[in-house]
Amino acid sequence: MRYKKHESSVIEPDMTPMIDIVFQLIAFFMMVTNFEQTQADERVKLPSDQLARPPVVSREKVLVINVGFVRDKEGEKTDPTAYVFEGDSKTPVLEYGPRLKEEKRVAEALYGPGGHKDMIIEIRADAETPTGLVQELIKLAQEAGFEKFSLRAKQLIR
Amino acid sequence: MKIRESRVAATKIEAQMAPMIDVVFQLLIFFMLTLKIIPVEGDFNINMPIGQQATESPDITPPPIKVRLIANEDGSLAGVQMNQRQLGNDSLAFDRLNAEIGNLVGRRDNPFADELEVEIDADYNLHYRFVISAVSACAGCVAPESGRVVRCVDLVKLGPPRRPAG
Repeated sequence: MRYKKHESSVIEPDMTPMIDIVFQLIAFFMMVTNFEQTQADERVKLPSDQLARPPVVSREKVLVINVGFVRDKEGEKTDPTAYVFEGDSKTPVLEYGPRLKEEKRVAEALYGPGGHKDMIIEIRADAETPTGLVQELIKLAQEAGFEKFSLRAKQLIR
Repeated sequence: MKIRESRVAATKIEAQMAPMIDVVFQLLIFFMLTLKIIPVEGDFNINMPIGQQATESPDITPPPIKVRLIANEDGSLAGVQMNQRQLGNDSLAFDRLNAEIGNLVGRRDNPFADELEVEIDADYNLHYRFVISAVSACAGCVAPESGRVVRCVDLVKLGPPRRPAG
């Protein structure tokens, strides 16, 4: 018995357009992903201002301090105390002094004696934080030996 | 002369697409999961040297411009003052402050225009957003035509905290 030879009927899809689109998507996500602002805490509702522009030159020695409130899903405050957030832990602002002294020791170990003096303390405080607590935090940081400070805000685009 | 035809079939190497697609999808999923949409943030430098009162410079520097921010009990803004002058408590108070600072810096007869310093003295319970507005009003403004930032005062500091009595 003779069999007829048939051409294979497997349809090979053209992968080129799919790869094109996938590469486009990867390029988009690479551009949009911002690895520099990983220290930003989502619980902090920053105030916004037109003049708040990102620095032209990225800073090397920075310590970001997130100050905010515990909020529910609707964004309402569940606790009137302002905390400094560090990952899952939260410390009342006025009790943050010892932690700042630890940070100073870490900075000195990393950058040598006096290295902490060049470090900029970036304060990301919630818009509703009492100003007095921000001033107290700056005072605690000064007592720990830090000298440079900056206040972060969202850029308001009109 | 007879050229012998090669019997060896053309060895066309087909690139294996499957591993590449695997890796590309891995990358895609990684970037999708790590994507965190954060609005653009900027910052204001504040001048808070330790032991700020003890200046040994023989140069005569002008006293800092005092900006006082008064709060209501709920932390909202009750009033803005600049060197004891009332600037109001409405949404335009910071625009007035910006205009006053701009006048001081822009005056031609002011020899200390580059050395001007602003001290912001806010009530303890005042919401921080008003301090940012005050710092911004002192630091400069955005030119409406070009959108460029026009700097006014670089040295802005916060006064000591006004702790509530008791």
